[in-house]
Amino acid sequence: MRTRNHTISDLLGELQDQSHAVHHEVEQTLPMIELHGADVTLAWLAACRTLFDFDREAGRAFIRGSAEAERISETVLPWTEQALEFMRWRGSWRALEGFMGNLPRAFGSLGHAGEKRWAEIGFAWCARQIDSGSAYFSTPVLELSGRQGISGVEQVSTPAEELFESRKLMLSTYLGGAIRVRNLLGAQAILPWALRGADILQSGRARGEAYFRLESEESLALLLEHLSGFRLVDRNRLLGMLLDVWYGGDFDVKESNWSPEKGRPFVETDGRSLYVPAVMSNRDEAILAVLHGAGHMRYGTFDRLAMKEMFAAANLEFPASGPVSWTPLFTRYGDDALRFQLIFDLCEDLRVDFRVQHEVPNYLHRLAVTARETGARHPESGPYFDLALSTVEGALRTVRAEGRADERFMPLLDPTATIADAYRVATDIYSQDTLPRVSDLEALHAAYLPGRGPNATRLAHPQEQDDQQQQTQAGAEQQSEQQEQGEEENATAQNAEAGNQQEGGKREEVAGYGESSGSATQSASKADNERGSRAGSDKGVPYPEWDYREARYKRNWSWVQEKRLAESNMAETNRLMKQYSNALKRLKKAIQSQKPTRMAPKLRQFDGDDMDLNAVVSYVAEKQAGRSPKADIYRRREMRQREIAVTLLADMSTSIMQHLPEGGGRLVDRVRAGVLLFAESMEEVGDSYSIAGFCSKYRDNVSYYNIKDFDEPLSQDVRSQIGGMSGRLATRMGAAIRHATARFEGIESRRRLLLILSDGRPEDYDDGGDRRYLHEDTRMAVKEAVSKGVHPFCITVDTMANQYLPQIFGQGHYLVLDHINSLPNKLPEIYFRLRR
Amino acid sequence: MKTAVNRIRGVERDIVQTPQAGDTAPYYEPQGNEIAIFEAAYKKRLPIMLKGPTGCGKTRFLEHMAFQLGRPLVTVSCHEDLTSSDLVGRFLLEGAETVWQDGPLTRAVKVGAICYLDEIVEARTDSTVVIHSLTDHRRRLTIEKKGQEIEAHEEFMLVISYNPGYQTVLKDLKPSTKQRFIAINFDFPAEEIERKIVFNEATGISAEIVHQLVAAGRKARLLKDHGLEEATSTRALVYAANMMIAGLDAVAACQVAMVNPITDDIELADALMEIVQAHFSA
Repeated sequence: MRTRNHTISDLLGELQDQSHAVHHEVEQTLPMIELHGADVTLAWLAACRTLFDFDREAGRAFIRGSAEAERISETVLPWTEQALEFMRWRGSWRALEGFMGNLPRAFGSLGHAGEKRWAEIGFAWCARQIDSGSAYFSTPVLELSGRQGISGVEQVSTPAEELFESRKLMLSTYLGGAIRVRNLLGAQAILPWALRGADILQSGRARGEAYFRLESEESLALLLEHLSGFRLVDRNRLLGMLLDVWYGGDFDVKESNWSPEKGRPFVETDGRSLYVPAVMSNRDEAILAVLHGAGHMRYGTFDRLAMKEMFAAANLEFPASGPVSWTPLFTRYGDDALRFQLIFDLCEDLRVDFRVQHEVPNYLHRLAVTARETGARHPESGPYFDLALSTVEGALRTVRAEGRADERFMPLLDPTATIADAYRVATDIYSQDTLPRVSDLEALHAAYLPGRGPNATRLAHPQEQDDQQQQTQAGAEQQSEQQEQGEEENATAQNAEAGNQQEGGKREEVAGYGESSGSATQSASKADNERGSRAGSDKGVPYPEWDYREARYKRNWSWVQEKRLAESNMAETNRLMKQYSNALKRLKKAIQSQKPTRMAPKLRQFDGDDMDLNAVVSYVAEKQAGRSPKADIYRRREMRQREIAVTLLADMSTSIMQHLPEGGGRLVDRVRAGVLLFAESMEEVGDSYSIAGFCSKYRDNVSYYNIKDFDEPLSQDVRSQIGGMSGRLATRMGAAIRHATARFEGIESRRRLLLILSDGRPEDYDDGGDRRYLHEDTRMAVKEAVSKGVHPFCITVDTMANQYLPQIFGQGHYLVLDHINSLPNKLPEIYFRLRR
Repeated sequence: MKTAVNRIRGVERDIVQTPQAGDTAPYYEPQGNEIAIFEAAYKKRLPIMLKGPTGCGKTRFLEHMAFQLGRPLVTVSCHEDLTSSDLVGRFLLEGAETVWQDGPLTRAVKVGAICYLDEIVEARTDSTVVIHSLTDHRRRLTIEKKGQEIEAHEEFMLVISYNPGYQTVLKDLKPSTKQRFIAINFDFPAEEIERKIVFNEATGISAEIVHQLVAAGRKARLLKDHGLEEATSTRALVYAANMMIAGLDAVAACQVAMVNPITDDIELADALMEIVQAHFSA
């Protein structure tokens, strides 16, 4: 006993000699260690001493972490022995520091056995490479295990072992990202993600590291792709249809820049556009969210007068114009702003949802059911979730006339309630002070019912009373304003609106060719080419144009120049042929199966290789009846006279260069593929057809690109021209229709069909912003075509087309393809349906 | 008419059937002034053209009117191989003799029936020309093969129907044919009326379900511009209601009667099902 005590004090003395500070720390921890007995104390002190000798930092870290480790584990020897293991590696103090820091948590969350395994894994890493070991031990255990115990740790570690063996991938590079990937996508996603990362890392260090930090585009894209749940971006057609059904009108739906890192995904709105995240956890939540967001836009959350009233109630100044920030409403509450924000959102959301219920039957029911399934997800903000749910249930009772909602919330269920009322109710509830404070972002996010979300995430664009019906126009018309604000959505917004000069009604670009499209330089250079080639030629063919304002034709007003497409792209054609080879095979098969009826033998011929049995019978019968029938009793297999001639007229304005909102390339790719498939299937059918494209810039400069003439064979040259189709300039559709109609002259066929493939309304730089002008002119051009025996039919991918196409082409003479990817396959199909 | 059918169910019968005393009128719910128009046209024996989407009640309207006016109704469904002899008649061999057999149109002209050429645009244009002389003041049918002409019975009336969908862009009726008719536009009935119709056609269905069903149907029609060739018809609603009466769950009934038949497009079907579920999943 004495010798032991002696040794203890000896060791303490030695430590004191080495460092006073260390001795002080040891003294503080010592009483707790001593409870385990003298042997243990001695071992511990020896370890302190040894580690300190090995590396001062290591020793310090050990001593500092000991008290807490002892407290949680209620042991000393196991972890002391583990700590001594670190002496096997040089420079391991950082790893030991991490180890000691995480010990308590490791014991607490993994248990003793788990802790042992955790340490073993770490030691293996230290043995492989000490930096990886440090990274491992410095990572908080809870993060490492993902609250799944030791198996969570193994989930992350095992793929890394494989990668280390095969690719020499360091754990330090991998770990942070891997944990996040596991949390977002599950353990099975780690390996493919990391393998891809290892490849990237080999090609470039910086790029690879950004990938592993989940900061690079490709990493994020891969994540979004594998994220489970309901993919709003892929289902935007469904969402669009639902918005149309329930709210009767188009909304400007954009993809938000949400990434899994930002926590729970929400649908947001700024009063002009709906911003949807790539993925939401399930279909119900996603649909509720989209309907709810649209509800905010439709039911006055952004109503200027109501917002003004609310700001007045808060003694705040309301900006006379421009976007409005919500922040002043909340900053008044200082540290408690989040609490007020939650209450305010709760009230306003309830008001809006109650209105939505009138449009969408069972909306509140669905909301309540989905919310109950989810349950309150965060202890801190649970009361908000519960309160929101109970108000929804109360509202549901009111709807079903089964009772009343909580009296405090009754004013919100009045159909005339505005956001100002929501604000008043919210201030009342806030002042009752029954709801807890919320500090944590995760807790804040969890407070919202499924489909709801923070309303104040974006600057608000107040709506005038009557705009609420027409967010669509607003969304497009104010693009410049949006860019000035430097909102975070800039990149997406530009993509979505790039080619959309049709929609914009903006006339600033009149002087240039570029628009805001990504193809600016391309189209500019094309315009130059055109100018060059035009210099020698004359002004082209003049056509009249209809001016509705004066109700008369303007003679020789628009000038159409016919030309060949200068650019061709055989590689693109080949690529498309390959990509769509299956679709083409299918189409050709379908055409062949239809052929027998189409190639039906000519009946009732005066000569031929076969008898027409019906004709023979009636011949004999009539003969017997004493009449002298004509001897047209034969049938002949032969193609009938060409029954139909068709021109496919493609809109080649800048807007087709826009990137598709659903990704996967640009609209022009689909147009090329569609035209190509159309041409190939027409060859199979044998109908006479021509292909042309058009674009315009000012009335005297309408280009009509004759890609394939009626009597021209589908040569490689034509095919490669189709591959080279691209967008430039604007859409003076009337002139193009007139020219296409004129080209039908001299074509021998009973039916003449003019298929117009478009992606937007007729517009040109010189229409003075008066959309109606070219609409009316196009309408007249269609009428003229019909009277000349040509049937125009418009196929458009502009989902807002039903606002103007019925007036131009007439009901039933147009088709809106709201699924752009289906264009290539649909185009030939539509034609066959039309010629049926 | 229903009872008339019941009497002779499963028995061959002549196409010309005059309504008998004691028969009940086919159910029809007027949507506007179409009955008055029809009666006026009938008074003056002017031919009528019924325009409107599939399943909105054109045929039922005509059955109803024929019954009310006490005239037999002869219906010819037109198809693309329909020739003029299919309408007018032809010689047949019988032993060593030839016998002339009247076509349905000739029969109707002779007995003074209402002749209904359903979906006339489907027929070949040369066969539609035979009706020209019947549709103007001459009211006379030429049987070219027999070298005869028939003055129409004074009660004879011609009715055609057509569905101006985009499928028929190239098959439109010739203007010269069109302008010989009094045209009545049909559309899906107003909500209130549609409810009445479904309620009547599906005996035993509850008013509340009808309410939801019709609301869902009207919402579904809004998707017409999203790629539906034909909108959800009143007939589809009636079918759905009948499937429910037969014991099928409401959502499933709507799916099989209102969604599956009209589209193969998954996305569109999804949207339609959303509408159905919103109305029925409470």
